[in-house]
Amino acid sequence: MPRITRRDFLRTSALIGGGLILSDSLQLTNPVLASDGLPQMAIARWDEAALAKADLTATATRLTEAAMEMLGGMNRWVSDGDTVWIKPNIGWNRRPELAANTNPDVVGTLVRLCKAAGAKNVKVGDHPCHPARQCYRNSGIAKAVDAAGGKMVYLDKKRFTDMEIGGQHLKSWPLYAEVVEADLVINVPVAKHHGLTACSMAMKNYMGVIGGNRGSWHQNMEACLPDITAFMQPRLTVVDAVRVLTDHGPQGGDPNDVELRGIVAAGTDIVALDAFGATILGHEPRNISTIKAAEDRGLGTTDYASLRPVERVLS
Amino acid sequence: MSVQDKARRIIWIRRTVQTLVLALFVLLLFANRPADGVAPTAPVTTFFDLDPLVMVTTWLSSRSLEGISLLGLATLGVTLVLGRVFCGWFCPFGTLHNAVGSLRRQFSKVRPRTSGCSRWQRAKYYVLAALLVMALFGVQWTGVLDPFSLLYRSLSLTVVPALDVGMSTVANTVYLGDPHLGSLHLRDATEPVYRWWQEHVTATEMRLFTGTDVVFLVFMAALILNLVRNRFWCRYLCPLGGLLGAVAPRPLLRLVSDPDACNGCQKCTMACPAAAQPEKPGEWLGTECFGCWNCVASCNNSGLDFQWVPPVKRTSTGSVDVGKRRTMASLAAGVGGVAMASVTPARHGTTYEPSLIRPPGSRAETEFLARCVRCGLCMQTCPSGGLQPTWSEAGLEGLWSPMLVPAIGWCEFECHACGQVCPTQAIEPLPLEEKKKIKIGLAVIDTTRCLPYAYGRECIVCEEHCPVPDKAITFVMEEAVQRDGSVRLLKHPRVDPDRCTGCGICETKCPFQDRAAIRVTSAGETRHPDNQPMLGASSSGYGTSESNPYGY
Repeated sequence: MPRITRRDFLRTSALIGGGLILSDSLQLTNPVLASDGLPQMAIARWDEAALAKADLTATATRLTEAAMEMLGGMNRWVSDGDTVWIKPNIGWNRRPELAANTNPDVVGTLVRLCKAAGAKNVKVGDHPCHPARQCYRNSGIAKAVDAAGGKMVYLDKKRFTDMEIGGQHLKSWPLYAEVVEADLVINVPVAKHHGLTACSMAMKNYMGVIGGNRGSWHQNMEACLPDITAFMQPRLTVVDAVRVLTDHGPQGGDPNDVELRGIVAAGTDIVALDAFGATILGHEPRNISTIKAAEDRGLGTTDYASLRPVERVLS
Repeated sequence: MSVQDKARRIIWIRRTVQTLVLALFVLLLFANRPADGVAPTAPVTTFFDLDPLVMVTTWLSSRSLEGISLLGLATLGVTLVLGRVFCGWFCPFGTLHNAVGSLRRQFSKVRPRTSGCSRWQRAKYYVLAALLVMALFGVQWTGVLDPFSLLYRSLSLTVVPALDVGMSTVANTVYLGDPHLGSLHLRDATEPVYRWWQEHVTATEMRLFTGTDVVFLVFMAALILNLVRNRFWCRYLCPLGGLLGAVAPRPLLRLVSDPDACNGCQKCTMACPAAAQPEKPGEWLGTECFGCWNCVASCNNSGLDFQWVPPVKRTSTGSVDVGKRRTMASLAAGVGGVAMASVTPARHGTTYEPSLIRPPGSRAETEFLARCVRCGLCMQTCPSGGLQPTWSEAGLEGLWSPMLVPAIGWCEFECHACGQVCPTQAIEPLPLEEKKKIKIGLAVIDTTRCLPYAYGRECIVCEEHCPVPDKAITFVMEEAVQRDGSVRLLKHPRVDPDRCTGCGICETKCPFQDRAAIRVTSAGETRHPDNQPMLGASSSGYGTSESNPYGY
């Protein structure tokens, strides 16, 4: 057993103590707090070395729990008797391993946390590109949500109602009232590649609450996405980067395009989370036209690091 | 127990059986819905498997027994023993006719005329003869008139969608209008019902079908004709009834009458839905009788009963004399039907209808039509609702056969349900991974409409939806001069014909909702080696090789 001399002990103690005082005074690690005195953003990472062998169900579950815990818990947003709409990306009839849809365990965990925080109804739904029933089932999300006590909702095409968006480009557009009327909408995208905007994240995920000729938005995504984001007034965004789709997005299909990253980030600033997601996919956020447009609009910051996110590494 | 009491009891058993079979038919119809892209687990083809007319004509026209159910033989066997009990006890279409007929008796004050045997009952044998001749020459028109096909098609393509529209309209009107009295909201009553309907009955998104007006009219006509004569369809027209009648002129169980007990009251005639001449002792028509026991129950003198008779013994002199000349005429009509249907450029591979996009796994057109019985199972199970009945696209020969209409819905990449439910394997039951390799057509970009090409605007919707993992639609960067003279770099979509499967989702999702700027044509379909505009990637000519089993 190596002996620790008095001198070693004192020197080490001084270094650690000094370091702690120094970092604290410089506020290098302290998060920038929101008005309610809690952090604005949290990032939970799985230890990279352990990732390859990790059980992804447990990984996704614990990452989501950790991210929400770092933000102060679900009670920050959810009160007794609330109705919550969780909006994952369930746009495609693809299996979870292909990372075209949000990880089912991330979604399931959020449902469970909402229920535990007292939510009366936790609804989960999307307006998918492929047939909804196939998407809900094959994405694994229906099963996870059912198990967690949430309710999968199939959007009825007749129930999109015109709403005043009052945006720069969109004056009014058909939206799904049941989503808009929920006490809280949790936006839970998967970080993935997209053929037009280079990446698809939380703001793009709002295209699943709209009706109408959605395809026409692609002609002016830089205006439409900030418009819908401003209208939706995002309060909580959770980015799933447990698996990310790096090419042939948004629906992928080739396992070689999927990368295991083991990250779940959450926060109140949707632009910061989109920027973080873009960084994960290897982009400079300001180079992504939609994210830049949202920042220019004042919807949030692309410099997510400036929020000093709380971070934790799990294994 | 008197014969009459026994008959009454048997009639109640028959009615129970009929109700249960009709219920089973409807249950299996609702069970045939898109699951996770795989086939429904319920035995949805059961009724077609039991249909000897489908069996015989498909065998004749395809000249093969591959993929054809032989359960129809069991039906023929039962008919040889018990007569046309299939029509009287089993056929759900017959049960519907019974129901309409009994409604008439309940509500109409007009006493129906005695409806004894008519010469017109021969008609169904002529229909049958014509269908058999057509099948022999490779033209399969059975599905248009087969009772199961007719009923299934009518229910799945018209009645169920009509119910769905009705449910949706009521529920959504209440939901959006939200009529309420204080805290009592009407939607609290309608929503659970609507939810139950959507989750447990239709279990799909609403699917509607084109050209179903005629399907519905034929169905309604068949039902309304019961007001003219009881079970008009079964008596005069049904080719399956004709086939069963033809095999069982002398079944083992026959109606035997006691001439001394008959007082000529005609009650049995009135009771007989089949006009099988129970009122003429010794002239009962085994070919017509449904074995329903109504006549036995109607005879107050106990003069009628069904009895076992040795097969060869002739107990009745009655017959529906089809006549040699008329039979020859109907055979000739069948040949005429063949001539009409098969003397077309499309039939002989001279032309290919661009909009005739067949479901994945469909056999080459001639072979496909030789098997397709127009039942509608594939259309009903298609999750996107893109499979639609043809009207003129495949000619009269192919009336109501399935084709993909990408303006309505696409062929879902992760789905092969249509081939799994086809009762005659007109669409082959390919494994999912095999199905993904099948080309049903080719996407063609209309550069006079496509937004980047024609209008200099950004759009990537077709590429985004292309389900092929390495994308059959890629981009070419092109400079587009804008109105103010500035230059903008745009992504122009381009179709890779080696990868495009013709699934059509690009056409469905194109922002142009009237006529898409990218449209699928039947060119390049795997099933037709001559309908290939492109030199294949493997360049081994068309046909198959080990590495390229589907010839592309």
